[in-house]
Parts: sequence; C-alpha cells; structure tokens
Amino acid sequence: MEYYFGILQNIGFHTLLGLSAYLLLLTGQLSMAQVGFFAIGAYASGILTVIYGINIFLALGVGAIIASFFAFLVGFPALRIKGLMLVIATIAFSEIVRLYFFNLRWLVEKDGVEVGPDGAQGFREIRYFAANGWEPSHIVSFIWIVVILVLFALWWLDRVKAGSVLRAVGEDELAAQSSGINLTVVKVSAMTGGGFIAGIAGGLYAHSTTYVDHNSFTILLATFAVAYPILGGLKNVFGTLFAVIFIQGILIEGLRFLGDYRNLLFGLLIILVMNFYPKGLINIPIFNWSKLFKRRDL
Amino acid sequence: MFSKFKKLKLATLAFATVIAGGAVADTIKIAGWGAKSGPLRSFGVNSEAIIKAAIDRVNENGGVKLADGSMAKMSYDYYDSACNAEQGIAIARKVASETNALIGIGPTCSGVAAASFGVFQKKVGDSSDTGLQMPLLTDTAVRNGLAKISQWTFRNTPNEPDMYDKLFAWIAKTNPNIKTIYGGTETNQGHSAGTYSKVIVQAAIRHGFEWVNGPIDEVSDKIGSGFKNVLSSSSNWLMEDTNFSVQARAFKKSGADLFIVSSHPFTTCGFLKELSRMKGMPKMMVGLTSSSSAEVMKGCPKQAEGMIIPTSFAPITAAAKEVAALAAANGGSADLHSAASWENVMIIKDVIEAVGITGDPSKVNEERAKIRDGLEALETTEGLIGTVTRVQDEGEALKPFVFVHAKNGNWEVLHDPRK
Repeated sequence: MEYYFGILQNIGFHTLLGLSAYLLLLTGQLSMAQVGFFAIGAYASGILTVIYGINIFLALGVGAIIASFFAFLVGFPALRIKGLMLVIATIAFSEIVRLYFFNLRWLVEKDGVEVGPDGAQGFREIRYFAANGWEPSHIVSFIWIVVILVLFALWWLDRVKAGSVLRAVGEDELAAQSSGINLTVVKVSAMTGGGFIAGIAGGLYAHSTTYVDHNSFTILLATFAVAYPILGGLKNVFGTLFAVIFIQGILIEGLRFLGDYRNLLFGLLIILVMNFYPKGLINIPIFNWSKLFKRRDL
Repeated sequence: MFSKFKKLKLATLAFATVIAGGAVADTIKIAGWGAKSGPLRSFGVNSEAIIKAAIDRVNENGGVKLADGSMAKMSYDYYDSACNAEQGIAIARKVASETNALIGIGPTCSGVAAASFGVFQKKVGDSSDTGLQMPLLTDTAVRNGLAKISQWTFRNTPNEPDMYDKLFAWIAKTNPNIKTIYGGTETNQGHSAGTYSKVIVQAAIRHGFEWVNGPIDEVSDKIGSGFKNVLSSSSNWLMEDTNFSVQARAFKKSGADLFIVSSHPFTTCGFLKELSRMKGMPKMMVGLTSSSSAEVMKGCPKQAEGMIIPTSFAPITAAAKEVAALAAANGGSADLHSAASWENVMIIKDVIEAVGITGDPSKVNEERAKIRDGLEALETTEGLIGTVTRVQDEGEALKPFVFVHAKNGNWEVLHDPRK
C-alpha cells in the first residue's frame, strides 16, 4: 500500500500547486511564480522543523504565511502587466527564488550531523513525518485533509459573490472596473491566496520527499502548475484535480514501463486532450460530473 | 544400502526440515532503479545492462545457494526514476511495499539518492521511525557522504577525496613543470560542483599547486575550505548550457598550467570543443570521475586527448575486460558507475549465501533485515580491479582506483597508484 500512498501524496501536493494557479487564472493572471512560492514554503517549513524543531502544523502555517507575503509583494508589480509580460515577470521571480535557494547555505549541527540547506547539495533530512512515527496512511490522510479543505474553500468561493468578482475580473477587467470592482484588491488578494496555497503545498512536498534542492523548483514545475487547471478546465475547481490525477497518476506513474516512450506519449496525450476537450478534462462525458459541480449562476 | 524404513525416515526428516524452515523460493528477486529517460539516461541504461549480465552469470553458474542448501535463480526488475526525486521515492516505496525484492540497487543520480535515502528508516530498530526498511546498495550516485543518511542504505561508489588526493600527489611528483591551476564546474549539478569546490581544488593546493590568480580567500588544503570562494573565482557553467565561449575564453586567458574541468560528459565535451576551437588547451587537464566514460570518447575524443581522471573502473583485469564486453553486448557500457552494478550483484549473492536466506515471500521483511546486517558486517569485497574495503559504520566503500587519460579515442591507464 505504501506505494499507492506515495502516489496519493504526489497527487495531493500537485493538486494544491495547481489550485494555487487556478485561483489566479480565475482573475486572468497566468502566473509562473507559483513554483517560487512553492519553494519558499518548502524551504521555510523545512528549516522550521529541521533546524528549530517546530511542530509540523505550525511550520506549514508559517511557511505558507511567508510564501503569501512574497506573493503579496509580487502582486503589486503584477498589476501593471498582463499576458506574456506577466508570464516573463513571474518566471523571473521564480528563478530569483530558485537561485536564492541554490546559494543558501544554513547548516546547523544536530546530534553530531550538519543539517539544513546546503546550497547546490540541497536540503536533506526533512524527516519530520518518519521521525515522529507518522505512518504513510497518516501522512496521506493529512495531505488529503488539507487538499479537501482547500478544494472546498475554492469551491465555496466560486459559489458566492467573491467568486463572481474573481471571474468578472478574469473575463473583462475594464468592465469589472466599470462596475466598481477594485482591481488592485482582487488581483493582489488572488495572488496572496495563491501564494498561501502554494506555500502549504511546498511544505507538504518537502516533508514528503525529505529532500529539496534548487532542481526541485524549475520552470518545468511552474509549467505543470498552470497546466493542471488549464488542462482540467476552469469551469470548476475539480478540473484541476482530474488533470493532476491524469498527469501524475496515469501519465507519469501508469506509463513508467514505457521508458523513454513515456515522454513522447505524455506530450501526445496532452495534445489530444486539449484538441478534443479544449475546455478541459472536466468536460469529458464519462465524468459527466460537471453539472454536479457547476458553479451556481449568481 | 538403505533399508526401505531408513529411506522413509530420511524422506520424512527432509520434508519436516523444509516445513519447519518454511517454504523456500526458486527465485530470489532484486530491484534496480536509475535514470533511463532524460539527459542522464545513459546511467540507467548502463547500470541495467550490467545488472542483467551479472544476474545471467550468477544463473549460468547455478544460481544462489539458499539456507537449506538448494539453489535458486536470481531475477531483477529495473525501474526508470528519470533522475527525478519524486519518481525515485515513488519507486523506492513501490519496491519496498509492493514487491518481494530483497534488496535494491540504485538510484543512479545523487539528487535522487539524497532524496530517496531520506524515506528509509534512519536507525535500524528505531520503532518510532516509520521509514522504509529495505536494504539498498547503490552503484552510481557518487556525491560525498550519502550512505550515512540511513542505516539501510549502502554504497559501492568511489571515494573521491582519496582519489584526487592521490592524483595530485602523483602529478606533483611526476610533472614538476605544472605549477598553476584554474578550473570550472557545472554549478547546478551537486556532484560536479561539490566535488570541484570542496575536494579537487583543495587536493591540488594540498600538493603545492597554486591558483593562477593568487591564493583564494579561506581556501586551504582542508576539504571543503572556502568552497564558495572557489566557485566565485572559477569560470562556471550550467548542466543545460550549450554555449561555452565565455568560460573557454576565461580558461584560456588564465594561462594556468593545469585546467580542472569538473563536469559530466555532456557539458565536458561542449566545453572542450570550444576550448579547442579557441586554441586554449593547457599543458594538462584533470576531469571529474564521472567523465571517464564512453560518452566523452564518443563525443569529443580529440578534444579530450590527454585529460587525466582517477577512476575506479578500467579494463585492466580479465574480470573487468569481460564485464566491459558483456556490458557492450547488452547495449550499455562499463564505466566507474555502471561497473559497480556487477560488483553489487556479486556482493548480494555472497551475502545471501552467508546469512542464510530462504526467499520465502512471507519472510521478506525478516530476510531484508538479515541482508542489511550481512552488508554492514562486510569488511572487504572483491571488486573488478581489486579488493574493496568497506567503511562499515558509514555504509561506504574505499575502492581501488587508477588514473586514466584519454589517448587515441580510448581511456588508457596512465598510472596505477597501488604499484
């Protein structure tokens, strides 16, 4: 079972990462900064549990707050740009974060062993779960409780007025502004909220894998983060979940036996899905759940 | 001649022995994993080719002897971890929980090893630690000091500090005209950058070589000293780079007698081609252990001509020559990384025979622990080019090595420090 628990863990934190991008996409912001917030959450919570010996719940919370603080800061300059320029600017932010951690060396001796971030050598021994007797079933349950809470929060958000405001900004900024919506508040709030979710995801990722380094937070992961909600569909929050299951569960794990051909098929399947279901996996008839989860028209 | 009664008694006794000892298997399974896709796929391809050859050899010789004296065949499954930490961890969990494999060989990438070793139980018998409990004997991931992350993880990889120390001692003795050094590395590759900035440069300084632009602050002969300053004083590149003109120009401009090129084959060749194009070749070049492979000889044999590398594998013995041929027959190549896979399979066979394994699937956890204990107890093992000393408390190996240099499109032995 441990293997399947491991896959569920992967699907869990990738879903959170995708949801952080989903929140921004609702406001029309295509952000590649999510991986930067994810990295901040991973390193911050890892440092807190490994170096300071802080409880995982507190560490994840603080990591997410730090990530959301940086997201808040990024949110303001991001107001001035959109489209491809926003993509470039947020890639630059993620690269700054990645290179910061690439150079971060903060080693502390614990029980005769040096622990902490060690530049290009990475940050090892983030073993809070195993070292505190958490069984794989406990870890996966914990991750999925967080995922379900975030899914529910975003689902609920989409069914109240705030969700309509986010979508209104995403559909047409000028019209939204003409209706009295404060673009600054909406967009910066979405960026901050997305940063918070990505920060939690990063913390869970670091503690699940027990190791992070700068290579864990490349542009490829940023691309995945925005690909999940786009591939899954923005109609509702569950599209992101379906996309993560499709990519992480089926394409990456399910096709492992194909070796190098897996990567070819991986790309081909995504192209096919995007061609046949341009509005996302959520619209595939076999799911036919879109009506069930459809947001209420306000 | 036995009486019928005696025969019946013996048959009953044998049957009872088997029942009492539990079922015995006819196959002993092991698992391997490494990068079989992505830019580092040659590591996994080579490793699997040699694991296959080694297991074929064990089975041709009758297999592995079990606790009851019967012989069982060995079999293996090899998984692609794509040099990705998440995937490496997923495979470690899969092998440990979903298969009857008694031990794993791998992973190939140091980053994956650093990550996946962390999901294993740190200290054996610590009931509060829920990490995986399955022995792992790594063949390729060479970054310094990884095995001590868990008492379940062991490595049969070379000891680079010792290799470069001996190399520079030999260069200093045999080439008194070489006085100054300069170098660079691929900074986003942990093994290349770590070995360069913490091991190689310090080893050179220890043996009297001088950095070409004057001493680097805080750098001494001590391993790891001033490593950040080493990196900032060097001309570096990234693993994904394809253009090396700035770096090659800096190397040429340095005018040093000896260049240190600490990178994997893919960028080593790119860099050397540019350096050669600029006519900037020095009197001597030293490379990273991982570059003493067939890829460099395929990619840039002319430009690498003369480069010296310490390596724990070279076809200098009959056994090593045979493994190199078998690897080629299986679509891979033998180098200091992959050749260890052969040694690992043979080590595993010997340990299984020494500790008494039944292969009974219901005892898989108990037998994994026995194999782990057997690995930890090893003091020496027989390697392809000589005896390997085990560093028992760290799970590491001290492997014999030679210095090779690129000559006429091949890696040829330049010096054997044991002689």
